[in-house]
Amino acid sequence: MKTILAGLLFALGAATAASAAELQIFDAHLHYSHDAWETVPPKDAIALLRKAGLRRALVSSSNDDGNQKLFAEAPDLILPSLRPYRTRGEISSWFRDDSVITYMEQRLARHTYVAIGEFHLFGADAELPVPRRMVQLARQYKLLLHAHSDADAIERLFKQWPEARILWAHSGFDQPDRLREMLKKHKNLWCDLAFRTDHGSGGKIGPEWRAVFLEFPDRFMVGTDSYTPERWPYVVEHANWSRAWMKDLPPEVAERIAYRNGEAVFGGPMQKKK
Amino acid sequence: MSRSGRLAALAAALLLAVPATDIIFANPSSLVDSPGNLLTFHARFSGPEIARILQHGPWPVAAQRDPSNRVSGLPEAIAFGKVLFFEKRLSGNGGSSCATCHLPELDFTDGKARGEGFVLLDRNTPGLLDVRLNRWFGWDGAADSLWAQSLRPIVDRREMAASTTHVGALVRSDPELVAGYRKAFGVPPSGDDEVTLNVGKALAAFQETLESGRTPFDDFRDAVERGDSQAAMRYPAAAQRGLKIFVGKGNCSTCHFGPNFTNGEFGDIGIPYFVAPGQVDPGRYGGIQKLLESRANLLGKYSDDPARSSAAGTRHVRLEHRNWGEFRVPSLRNVAKTAPYMHNGHLATLRDVVRHYSNLNEDRLHADGEKILRPLKLSAAEEDDLVAFLESLTPSHPGSY
Repeated sequence: MKTILAGLLFALGAATAASAAELQIFDAHLHYSHDAWETVPPKDAIALLRKAGLRRALVSSSNDDGNQKLFAEAPDLILPSLRPYRTRGEISSWFRDDSVITYMEQRLARHTYVAIGEFHLFGADAELPVPRRMVQLARQYKLLLHAHSDADAIERLFKQWPEARILWAHSGFDQPDRLREMLKKHKNLWCDLAFRTDHGSGGKIGPEWRAVFLEFPDRFMVGTDSYTPERWPYVVEHANWSRAWMKDLPPEVAERIAYRNGEAVFGGPMQKKK
Repeated sequence: MSRSGRLAALAAALLLAVPATDIIFANPSSLVDSPGNLLTFHARFSGPEIARILQHGPWPVAAQRDPSNRVSGLPEAIAFGKVLFFEKRLSGNGGSSCATCHLPELDFTDGKARGEGFVLLDRNTPGLLDVRLNRWFGWDGAADSLWAQSLRPIVDRREMAASTTHVGALVRSDPELVAGYRKAFGVPPSGDDEVTLNVGKALAAFQETLESGRTPFDDFRDAVERGDSQAAMRYPAAAQRGLKIFVGKGNCSTCHFGPNFTNGEFGDIGIPYFVAPGQVDPGRYGGIQKLLESRANLLGKYSDDPARSSAAGTRHVRLEHRNWGEFRVPSLRNVAKTAPYMHNGHLATLRDVVRHYSNLNEDRLHADGEKILRPLKLSAAEEDDLVAFLESLTPSHPGSY
């Protein structure tokens, strides 16, 4: 009966910590918003990131205070990105809200960031005054843009600032062929794979994804997307899941996607603004 | 007459034959309907809405044997399963049976927010009526058959805390259980493994018979289908208006689909799922992991279906990030009698449920996740109507249990 019981009795959600020998991870897509810092305090959040074996994490929060709390707790680990939202509820309204500009200007003057984002912006909305000013600020502060956008909006952002560096959140939820087109066209475009399963389902990489990973090994990163507080414990599970599918890649490509690309684009630990 | 013909006739009958005094309209001018719409009794339903209403029936759904359970539908197994369902000695300390938490007098729930075994559990005790229609079992779908699901609480240390040795010894030692077992399976109880597995299958055979009765909604739905305006008129006005929200702007019937008011799958509707500081209930994510690891799944050797004809879902299910924190879309039949609601009993009343969807916190939903979910922003009157509709899914008479 052990055979039946083996299948019936489980420890719930007991994700194991990463061992030192396991692939390090640069998590390029984390959020630490108000409800997260209320339920997963900074010390606990950092403990989860270390348990997951993260080398570095690109984090944004709504509002930005969460980001700063986390950065203060672990400056060696956290790379803050300024999100143009004071609450997550501004996802679909920020680009028409002039007060977002003042908020961003104030935060940028006060704190140090490596990026602006993740912001949600689609199609012609990228031409509105608020996103345009955001791009100007990114240029002024030499920041990367982390865009949850369709390809159209990505094109419009590059048109505004041809030298922009853009991390395309969720790889635009686009398919490998489309990603290949975009990556060929824009040398300063990188793709995160957050909240996607299709590239590594069951620990195996399909031929189309494999081809684009091998063609552009320096342009992809992994990310969890902790859009609710409950997704913080998932960072550990996600890191392990990522390690599983990356085993299906040549080791040097896996290392690039796992953390080297993130390090190359964002650099190492950041210094606080004085 | 074709269905569309019957519906057209019904609409015409309503316009011409139904006394105006029998019709409760919020706005009498609604008697003049827009082109292409059908005028019904207390609410105006469009053609697509009528089609959706008809999809919620007929009820009951014809019984079908579970091919993975060789004693499914067998009267002797049903009788033996019923005995086992109420048998406290099945638990490790002899203090609880299946019926301890699935109380028949409470429609096979326990009325509590979260179940109580040897410890306070993380999830709400689901009702068992119509459980035979599930594709997945448990809030996380960790089991793909009713017999596998029936074994889980018996051996779970938090719930009945028994072992296969305990179950095997009990069934072999009690003459009545031996007799029941022999009648159901045609052989005397032997090894612990086999006995425990068969206890699960007999329990499943019994639970397959737990069926909820017909409801006022079913009577209305059938009346609409056959064009019986008088019968349809008996369905209360508030329930009709609520039904219109349900199949219309509320979009509820996208997930709460079909005769059993569920698509049988899983979703994240923004209910918090921390179970303790820093600890979450992973929901469907953990369920898929357990299912695929389980040797008692429908792909395994314990299924009695050599063709594995019912195992397609298990064969194709894949773990996705979105599964983290998803829970089963429950049936809405009998819902008024199964409070509190959601996987962890987070919402106390049906009105709380309606308000949850009315004021849905989109912050908790992924922008590329449950796109069908939007705050319904219902008025107080609309909330009343939707609750009235949900209450109309309560059987008028007890079902077959």
